[in-house]
Amino acid sequence: MQALNMSRCSCTCRGYQNVNSLLANRTFLVRVQPHASTALLNTAFTSDSKCAIRGFCRTTSKPLGCFKVNQTFFYPKPSLTFSTVSRSKSCWKCGSAIQPTPVFFCPACKVIQAPDEHATFFDIMDCDKSFALDTQKLQRRYLSLQRSLHPDNFSQKPQEEQEYSETQSALVNKAYRTLLKPLSRGLYMLELGGMRLEEGTDIGADPQFLLEIMEINERLDETQIKEDAKNIGLSVQGRLQDLTAKINASFDKGDVQTAKVLITQMKYFSNIEEKVKEKISEMPV
Amino acid sequence: MAVVAVKRCVSPLFFFSRRLSAPEIKFQCPYHKKVVDHYENPRNVGSLDKNSKNVGTGLVGAPACGDVMKLQIEVDENGKIVDARFKTFGCGSAIASSSLATEWVKGKSLDEASKIKNTEIAKELSLPPVKLHCSMLAEDAIRAALADYRLKQQDGEKEAVKASN
Repeated sequence: MQALNMSRCSCTCRGYQNVNSLLANRTFLVRVQPHASTALLNTAFTSDSKCAIRGFCRTTSKPLGCFKVNQTFFYPKPSLTFSTVSRSKSCWKCGSAIQPTPVFFCPACKVIQAPDEHATFFDIMDCDKSFALDTQKLQRRYLSLQRSLHPDNFSQKPQEEQEYSETQSALVNKAYRTLLKPLSRGLYMLELGGMRLEEGTDIGADPQFLLEIMEINERLDETQIKEDAKNIGLSVQGRLQDLTAKINASFDKGDVQTAKVLITQMKYFSNIEEKVKEKISEMPV
Repeated sequence: MAVVAVKRCVSPLFFFSRRLSAPEIKFQCPYHKKVVDHYENPRNVGSLDKNSKNVGTGLVGAPACGDVMKLQIEVDENGKIVDARFKTFGCGSAIASSSLATEWVKGKSLDEASKIKNTEIAKELSLPPVKLHCSMLAEDAIRAALADYRLKQQDGEKEAVKASN
């Protein structure tokens, strides 16, 4: 706990001094994440690296982070999903064996468990790993999980259980939010396949497509009529539905490259959709 | 609308800095004042006639954030950029980067303009590392506009040759 506080203090001071370096730090931490997860896996923390990593490992050397900034580091690392390391687990409290599928409570002693860092969001939400996802089923699963995992249920329990409930519950929230929307679900599926959208400029983008996006944006920007904005919103929604169907077909065929191109297009359209909502909300009734 | 957009852009950073900072520490705006200035008073917003022969149009997009940027240059007969316009639909940093880019290319020759680097833009605006790709987008937009202009000139020459034959 002391170590946690120390690292919290150092983060705080650094955050105060320079936001830029802090942000740089964050990207850095995210980049070392896979290694950190591996370290967790082997439960070996012999890292003698420099201060940033040291602070990081100190916090992770506890089985679970108990302050919020670090929670993200315990989210399942999709790239490690297919790791060959054996995944036999046992209950932290009673020691009885637990199946490697995401188990939230020990079957023997019924005590809450730490998140399984190998479980994908699909595992957690008990869904098939497919883009065509039953959102109603997802919602039911979400509600039932939160009913049992929510920290409110653990206020009288030992601190370890409270911490597990916090991280598990946050993880379920994140899994639910990620899988609910087609765009974030598609991006997550790309990530599982070891792909992501390029940070920089879209060099391979179809100029005609960019022109279309530009023109829709311009039309939306210029219009002062609510009806026009609504119409733009409707046509964009149509395009998004169309894209969802196409992305679904690509994933079904195993054509991830095409799916990636389509998800990129989806990103542009869903940005416009957001802007439409914003514009309509700002217009007088 | 501008205020809402700025808030939107700033809020994730705000959340991040707030989470790491103790409550007694005051919130500091993570954007440099130059970014805010360009965002609130963007220079050279608008369009030039994209069909005009001496206008080059660059249209680029960033897939990860879904931003689109259009940058146009008008070149005189001496090969000097006399006017530049932009339209960007994206975050504050992308708008500021393209606004600055139009300011910088004006009055430059084509070669000089092609030497503008994203690092210079990022430095001028003190962009944080997570926003460096916005300055990259502006650099790519300048290049795309220059390429478009050169292509138009080449086509023009070919037509002239055809006509004289």
